[in-house]
Amino acid sequence: MARYFRLLLVRLRVSVQLGSQYRSDFLVGGVMALFWLSWNLVPMWVVWQKRPMIAGWSFPEALLVAAWFTLMRGVLEGAVQPSLVAVVEHIRQGTLDFVLLKPADAQFLVSTAKFESWRAADAIGALVIGGYALHRVAHPPAASAIAVALLLTLAGAAVLYAVAIVVVAAAFWVVRLDNLIYLFNSIFDAARWPLTVFRGFWRILFTFIIPLGLITTYPAMALLNKLDWPTALRALGGAMLFVALARVAWTRALKHYTSASS
Amino acid sequence: MNLISVEHLTKEYRVHERPPGLMASLHSVFHRKYKIARAVDDLSFSIRSGERVGFLGPNGAGKTTTLKVLSGLLHPTAGTVRVSGFDPRRREHDFLQRITLVMGQKQQLLWDLPPADTFTMNRAIYDIPKQEFDETLSELSSLLELGKLVERPTRQLSLGERMKCELVAALLHRPKVLFLDEPTIGLDVSMQAELRTFLKKYNERFEATILLTSHYMDDVTALCPRVIVIDRGHLTYDGDLTQLVHKVRPHKRIVLRMHDGKQETHDVAPSDLKATITRLLSGDPISDLTVEDPPLEEVMRDLFAERGDRVTNS
Amino acid sequence: MSRTLKAFPTLLRIGLAEAIAYRAEFFIWMLTMTMPLIMLALMSTLAEEAPIGNFDSPRFVSYYLATLIVRQLASSWMVWEMMREIREGTLSMRLLRPIHPLSGYAAESLASIPMRALFSTPIALIALYATSGRDVTRDPALIFAFVLSVAGAWLLNFCISSIIGTLALYLDSSIAIWELWLGGFMIFSGYLLPLSLFPPWFQTLAHVLPFSYLQALPVEIITGLHGRSGAFWELGHQWLYALSALGAMLLFWQRAIKRFSAFGG
Repeated sequence: MARYFRLLLVRLRVSVQLGSQYRSDFLVGGVMALFWLSWNLVPMWVVWQKRPMIAGWSFPEALLVAAWFTLMRGVLEGAVQPSLVAVVEHIRQGTLDFVLLKPADAQFLVSTAKFESWRAADAIGALVIGGYALHRVAHPPAASAIAVALLLTLAGAAVLYAVAIVVVAAAFWVVRLDNLIYLFNSIFDAARWPLTVFRGFWRILFTFIIPLGLITTYPAMALLNKLDWPTALRALGGAMLFVALARVAWTRALKHYTSASS
Repeated sequence: MNLISVEHLTKEYRVHERPPGLMASLHSVFHRKYKIARAVDDLSFSIRSGERVGFLGPNGAGKTTTLKVLSGLLHPTAGTVRVSGFDPRRREHDFLQRITLVMGQKQQLLWDLPPADTFTMNRAIYDIPKQEFDETLSELSSLLELGKLVERPTRQLSLGERMKCELVAALLHRPKVLFLDEPTIGLDVSMQAELRTFLKKYNERFEATILLTSHYMDDVTALCPRVIVIDRGHLTYDGDLTQLVHKVRPHKRIVLRMHDGKQETHDVAPSDLKATITRLLSGDPISDLTVEDPPLEEVMRDLFAERGDRVTNS
Repeated sequence: MSRTLKAFPTLLRIGLAEAIAYRAEFFIWMLTMTMPLIMLALMSTLAEEAPIGNFDSPRFVSYYLATLIVRQLASSWMVWEMMREIREGTLSMRLLRPIHPLSGYAAESLASIPMRALFSTPIALIALYATSGRDVTRDPALIFAFVLSVAGAWLLNFCISSIIGTLALYLDSSIAIWELWLGGFMIFSGYLLPLSLFPPWFQTLAHVLPFSYLQALPVEIITGLHGRSGAFWELGHQWLYALSALGAMLLFWQRAIKRFSAFGG
């Protein structure tokens, strides 16, 4: 365990070093991320202009969801996806075999291969939006609410990672991964809206199948004291289930890979 | 009459320099700095119709650049180029109709469709009459023994099979001028030999002119009576292949095989050949003795090792 | 020119065969365009209590389904293909052929439309059924205008994609410019939200920019948001944009290729 932690730290350090070598890319990427951040808030702003309350959410409360969305997209595109794109490159060039030969868990190795450090700008953006939203909401959250929100954030990140692993596992069988990633990103975009504004099919899809609600809405609700304990516990349990499922999918995909390729 | 003539061809690339550091790189967005790299320098040669010419030189010598200039993809910085009476840089349809460029490392076949579909597409693009198309296709297919290959998706073909189909796609419009850039790269020995035989037959059948670059000296030895050697953009040799070998490596190579399986080689000047052989035969009993020219690989190595010292044209 | 016209049917046929060979990827790419469905779920729910602006719930259904269909028919993914070919140097292969490379790209782009139609026809039927066709115009003149406006949107889209794709001959990071363009498209084209929900100054701005002619105009015509005179007036604007973009594309391509051949990239 300690070895894996050390390995993770080494890889993070290498990524930051790589990032700082291209400082201009770093800066331009960061500035662009902040621009897109505010640009993407436009539809939300327009809709809430027409109604002060939507499905029980005021604009500042919805902004809090948007803040979590921003943070999680940073996690997704900065920490999860770069490595997974690298896996596919490995599969294509036949160098995945080298990874499999190393004396450490393959899933761990491939999913920590690369980090885009300039995505840290997303975290800053999330803090700015979240701070502004909390200021507008007016009543400061209790310490327990903050704790639950943080816990759910970790769970959300784990779910995001699990879904991404499942996507990669699927790529062993079906199609090119860049397509699947693109598809996932376009669906993930829906997570900027509070889950409860959706109904019917989409509500079920975003709650259970692609649990976007858990990733962005629940932590925001926890901070706003809107989340009851049973839901929070179920969310945590669901997150663990997702991670376990992802592990199974990965193991099966790897088995398929090693038996299919010569 | 010369089919291809190249006079004082010079080709320079502009390479964008990317300075390190934030301010410098922001600055370079507006004020780009360029470095000039000269890939071909005052190159002149001419090729007659129907010739097969090997184009040799180390990596970065300017071979591919020259082929691209000849096929009109790049414009000369200075000098003039004529191919089949055309100025390639204008890329006139009649010109494109008459030439083909095959690059071993790049493909035109549609990846997920059978090669037959690429052929049909090229028939439309080159506006080939149906009958001529069918004739050419069946002739090329039988020369290359394609068979049912053309009906399988390209991605399922082996590298060699793909290269064969690539050649067919490039030759359907019966070009008179073939520019081949490393056409046999990555292929196994027997497939290389097969393609060489094919190119020779195509050259004889359609009286086509072939200019070919290759890393495999066997390609050149088997196909090209004439070679043009360039190094760092300069012409170093233009002429007969055997004469080049004699010039760089005037020695003959005697290979002796002993009864115990040991092997000896002796490089000797042609004038000493007889004396040496007599001496060798009077020694230990031998099982075999051959006299040959040194392999072209070694000739090339010697040639580029003594860079700068030009081999004069014979 | 006549050679291109003669070759075009074959190019279309091969392009369609290619699209069919890539059907799995193709299907996924089309699924990435389901954003209007998500917006549809969102906005029609919101409008159930009371209309938002001039949109009630069924109108949102018509609007977003029409948006999805227009996007399927009029968009083009060739920017990625062009940039890849320029990066990998396979553009040379196209330059060696005796027809204009852009007409090859156009054929490929057009050839994928039947596959897209396969995807969008059921959606159109659902839309008609769900709203009993309430908002779909029945005026033949407007239906004609709709067809023209989809063609115009495709042309404009193709030309702009080509121009940005050609930029890859000059810039390493032309993809960033494409993303910037897409960002503008998301907001200004009526793709995410109908333009009439935005503040008036924003609508004026959107009207001047080309984005709305790529997407909003055909949608607004078919869902009956324009009268005849308004529709044809806007259509004129659209085609003015499309033809100027066509001219700009041809000029820019010629210059870019010349420069590319002269300096070797």
